[in-house]
Amino acid sequence: MSEEPSPAEAAQALADIQLRQQQVIDLATIPTWFWWEVGALMVVLAAGVDSHANVLIGLSVSIFVVGILLGVGFVVVPAFRRAQLRNGLLDGRGVAAILGFVAVIVGGTIGLAFSLRAGGVHHPATLACLAGGLVMGLTGPVLMRRLRAIMLGNRTGASR
Amino acid sequence: MTVPRFDELIHSPTRLAIVSLLAASEWADFSYIRDTVDLSDSALSKQLTTLEQAGYAEIRKGFIGKRPRTSARLTPQGRAAFEQHVAALQEIVLRSGATILPR
Repeated sequence: MSEEPSPAEAAQALADIQLRQQQVIDLATIPTWFWWEVGALMVVLAAGVDSHANVLIGLSVSIFVVGILLGVGFVVVPAFRRAQLRNGLLDGRGVAAILGFVAVIVGGTIGLAFSLRAGGVHHPATLACLAGGLVMGLTGPVLMRRLRAIMLGNRTGASR
Repeated sequence: MTVPRFDELIHSPTRLAIVSLLAASEWADFSYIRDTVDLSDSALSKQLTTLEQAGYAEIRKGFIGKRPRTSARLTPQGRAAFEQHVAALQEIVLRSGATILPR
């Protein structure tokens, strides 16, 4: 028959459990620089498109694609090699937060670009992506904090 | 509703750390577990074998290119045992009247 731990030992064990699960969850945290990198790449791409010059468009598309691949390669691939997060940690609220974030960035940027073009402003896509990139850089980390909180709340043993 | 059940096999500090890592993952790489829990290869192998023999963990060996890769995951039985163990620990703390449950 096993002997139960004391309340203090049990509490320490629960704290250790939380710490270990948190370590896995933190693997999925996207660093702040990544959001700014994507925002900057959006601006580069839009500037290329606004230039209407084939060479600059080709160059900006290349920079965008290579930049995204490098960013994802540095952030996602190493984390994925270490561990894959348990399904269910990110529930419907997390998915809704991600979709809402994408909708705001993409919808806001496209809407602003069309509005600027309709207003006769020069380089509408570049200016809109500058705004979209700023919003992404500022709110990306907020999204990550929200997702982390949701995942911590869904870990085994989390207080509900 | 999880029925609390204290599990001595899981409660050993090293195995508790390993199982906690695995509980938050679908699977975890051997080297990641080793480095995170700060164990030698042989010590981790031994602990994983113990968990595997209890039916709590599954060890997968494969290759990425020519490099061998080992990963581990909790079985449904292991996940259930861990959840029951956590519930038992929470119950012990709550029974004492303490409010020291982690967030």
